[in-house]
Amino acid sequence: MPPQPNREDIEATWNYLQTGITKIMTNLQDGMDMTTYMGIYTAVHNFCTSQKATNISSATGVGQAHRGAHLLGEDLYRKLKEYLNGHLAALHQESKAHTDEALLAFYIREWDRYTIAAKYIHHLFRYLNRHWVKREMDEGKKNTYDVYTLHLCQWRIEFFTLVHEKVMSAVLKLVEKQRNGETIEHGQIKQVVDSFVSLGLDEHDASKSTLDIYRSHFEKPFLAATKAFYQTESKQFVSENSVVEYMKKAEARLDEEEERVRMYLHNDIAATLRKTCNEALIADHSALLRDEFQVLLDNDREDDMARMYKLLSRIPEGLDPLRQKFEAHVRNAGLAAVAKVASDAEKLEPKVYVEALLETHTQYQTLVKRAFTEEPEFTRSLDNACREFVNRNEICKAGSSRSPELLAKYTDVLLRKSGTGVEEAELDATLTQIMTVFKYIEDKDVFQKFYSRMLARRLVHSNSSSDDAETSMISKLKEACGFEYTNKLQRMFQDMQISKDLNTGFREHTKGLQLEKQALDSSYSILGTSFWPLTAPHTTFNPPPEIQTDLDRFSLFYKNKHEGRKLTWLWQLCKGEVKTGYCRNSKTPYTLQVSVYQMAILLLFNDKDAQTYEDILSATQLTPEVHDSAMGILLKAKILHMKPDGDKPGPGKSFHLNYDFKSKKIRVNLNISTKTESKQEEVDTNKTIEEDRQLVLQSAIVRIMKARKKMKHSILVSECISQIRSRFVPKVGDIKKNIEILLDKEYLERLDDDELGYLA
Amino acid sequence: MSAENGPAMITLQSNDNHVIDVERSVAERSLLIKNMMEDLGEGALGQIVPIPNVTEPVLRKVIEWCEHHRNDPPSTNEDESDNRKKTTDIDEWDQKFMQVDQEMLFEIILASNYLDIKPLLDVGCKTVANMIKGKSPEEIRKTFNITNDFTPEEEEQIRRENEWAEDR
Repeated sequence: MPPQPNREDIEATWNYLQTGITKIMTNLQDGMDMTTYMGIYTAVHNFCTSQKATNISSATGVGQAHRGAHLLGEDLYRKLKEYLNGHLAALHQESKAHTDEALLAFYIREWDRYTIAAKYIHHLFRYLNRHWVKREMDEGKKNTYDVYTLHLCQWRIEFFTLVHEKVMSAVLKLVEKQRNGETIEHGQIKQVVDSFVSLGLDEHDASKSTLDIYRSHFEKPFLAATKAFYQTESKQFVSENSVVEYMKKAEARLDEEEERVRMYLHNDIAATLRKTCNEALIADHSALLRDEFQVLLDNDREDDMARMYKLLSRIPEGLDPLRQKFEAHVRNAGLAAVAKVASDAEKLEPKVYVEALLETHTQYQTLVKRAFTEEPEFTRSLDNACREFVNRNEICKAGSSRSPELLAKYTDVLLRKSGTGVEEAELDATLTQIMTVFKYIEDKDVFQKFYSRMLARRLVHSNSSSDDAETSMISKLKEACGFEYTNKLQRMFQDMQISKDLNTGFREHTKGLQLEKQALDSSYSILGTSFWPLTAPHTTFNPPPEIQTDLDRFSLFYKNKHEGRKLTWLWQLCKGEVKTGYCRNSKTPYTLQVSVYQMAILLLFNDKDAQTYEDILSATQLTPEVHDSAMGILLKAKILHMKPDGDKPGPGKSFHLNYDFKSKKIRVNLNISTKTESKQEEVDTNKTIEEDRQLVLQSAIVRIMKARKKMKHSILVSECISQIRSRFVPKVGDIKKNIEILLDKEYLERLDDDELGYLA
Repeated sequence: MSAENGPAMITLQSNDNHVIDVERSVAERSLLIKNMMEDLGEGALGQIVPIPNVTEPVLRKVIEWCEHHRNDPPSTNEDESDNRKKTTDIDEWDQKFMQVDQEMLFEIILASNYLDIKPLLDVGCKTVANMIKGKSPEEIRKTFNITNDFTPEEEEQIRRENEWAEDR
């Protein structure tokens, strides 16, 4: 290293510096000694602090005083910039000799060398940075940067702008090679990316960087090339392979591109690259994919459907057509499942029907879970489809109330004692499944009707399988439909509980009376009229004296407890047991389980072995129809004989006690409801449903009108539908009819312009 | 830097060719030396570091300061250095350290500027500022041995322009 130059001579100083800088720029690998390093630093320091500075400041005099001392350095800065430009121009010349990968290697090598040198020079010129550059920048001078930034700027202006296109095309060729399956030196691309990113200098703030340069010179061409590549490739692949194969290919390609970002691209490109690939690989072929969906559905190709879902979910609105197809498919599957079991609609077992519905639902719910990641929109499509095939299928042709009716019946079968003997845990699981179907039922009021009737029967006849199962079911319904829906069901339950206590009390009371005759072993249920779906008997009845005393005693007991309540005897639900003491062929007496009507008839035979038809009627006060059906069973079981023999009991016939009665069982159940009776009950239930619906509609209309006072006819109708929909789906005709009724009853009035008004 | 041989040492050489061994961490209070060690890497460790602008007594003085302040946290924060500029408070050790003749004081300031040791440069400048504080121009001239080269007219003009700064 030559001795330090004259600190005031810019030319001498620069010549001295240039030797060092050139060594740094071109030959740093040979190392650098401390003397050179310190020499350059010192030369810069000495130039900037040379006597000239003070000379200038005193020469310009007081006017300059507010700036403080004049700082030298501009000359050095300018010289350095010129030197860099020269160096870069030479590089550009040299670069022309290279293409493709060689050019990449050249660019990267020179970039590395240049940036390392820049760091050195930045440190060596630190004195310039600290003072002159800092002052210039503090004063807001544009285009003055610290020495390192100056290097980057000049690289960009003098070299990058001239070569970036060639560099990029080399990069793209390399990437294409990789996409075609060759192994490449991807570290090179990573370095180019880093270089482009480093060149993004913020014009206004050197300490910040932007991605502008990288975005416009790397991302843009990269994305364009990607798009072109995949458009060509996918077009060709699709024409030569199946859709399923294509999906696998596309999936692999998409993963590959994600990996590419991780391996050597800047994270900034991830989103846009994904979008570009999605368009070229999925959106452009979405119609083709969707057409294949039906085929996959028909063949239960779960994995392929999952793949298609994943692909199409990547593009906007990609899944809508799939959902539509899925919905239609599930609906058809449900309808087909029902049609299969519906061949004999009259004898259809509720269990078979409900299981057919559930099977379809379960199958496609599993598909939604496994293939469509339980996406909410697919779940909704599933729900829509299920609602359709649950409420409108072959079984429901006669009326949509068939589904809720059958569902309620199946529930009854499950909850009735000795039904199928299912385990407790299994029972609860089945009830949960029932609720799955229930959710889709539109006529929830029908279910409620049937359910409450059957619950009433289970409670009154105490043949419910378990209280726990009953309460669990009620709480499930409550959860689904609210307190109001299950209110009556719960009250029925409570009544049974209260009755139990009441009977205990009555028994204590009877014991206290110290009767001479042994009291009847009786039990009473007190059912609140408005909660139970039960009506008073259609017949008059004169209870036999054997039970009359007990009835009277109970009535008195009850009226003492609850003054002012009216008791109505529901004879048709009463039953009892009587023992035979007359049979010749059996030592042990038979126990006959009978309805209270049959009991009344049989007890008459305690006095006489034969009774005429007319005598029985007058003694029991039963209507002929009720009597005949009760008697029919007694005759059929051969407890009594009719004389003369004939089809039906009637006037002129007489009945005789059969002393030769024989039975395999000791207990004989004669309290069986006939088919016609249960059929009648069904019809009744359906009839009450219709009546109740009219009332629900009317009360809804009145409620709405009371709140709004005035309303257009059409709006009232739609408001009505939305209020009632949770119970059942009202027909528009019915709503109109009920509006007419309310107009007649003068709850409403007709106003001008199709409006209705509320009359208080 | 090899840990088993005790702290790494650097050999500095003043411009009058005196050689001083200093611990590397102490020498690196100077950003110049720190950057250089970074740039040149391990290969430079054995070499003598020439300090061409500083004489031995001054260099020793500067090293003394660096030893004392070797564990100071690096002041990176701009606000903090602004704060330090505003106050002329100097800690006790530094005050004692700066009790040197004027020539040495200025040499320390120049050396710290050259070696890029900002906190030392600040202490030096504050010391000078404290010497100026509260003195009339004539007293200041006397303190620093400056000849008055203003004409009376110039002096009057300056006084007028800077009236706002006068003590009242």
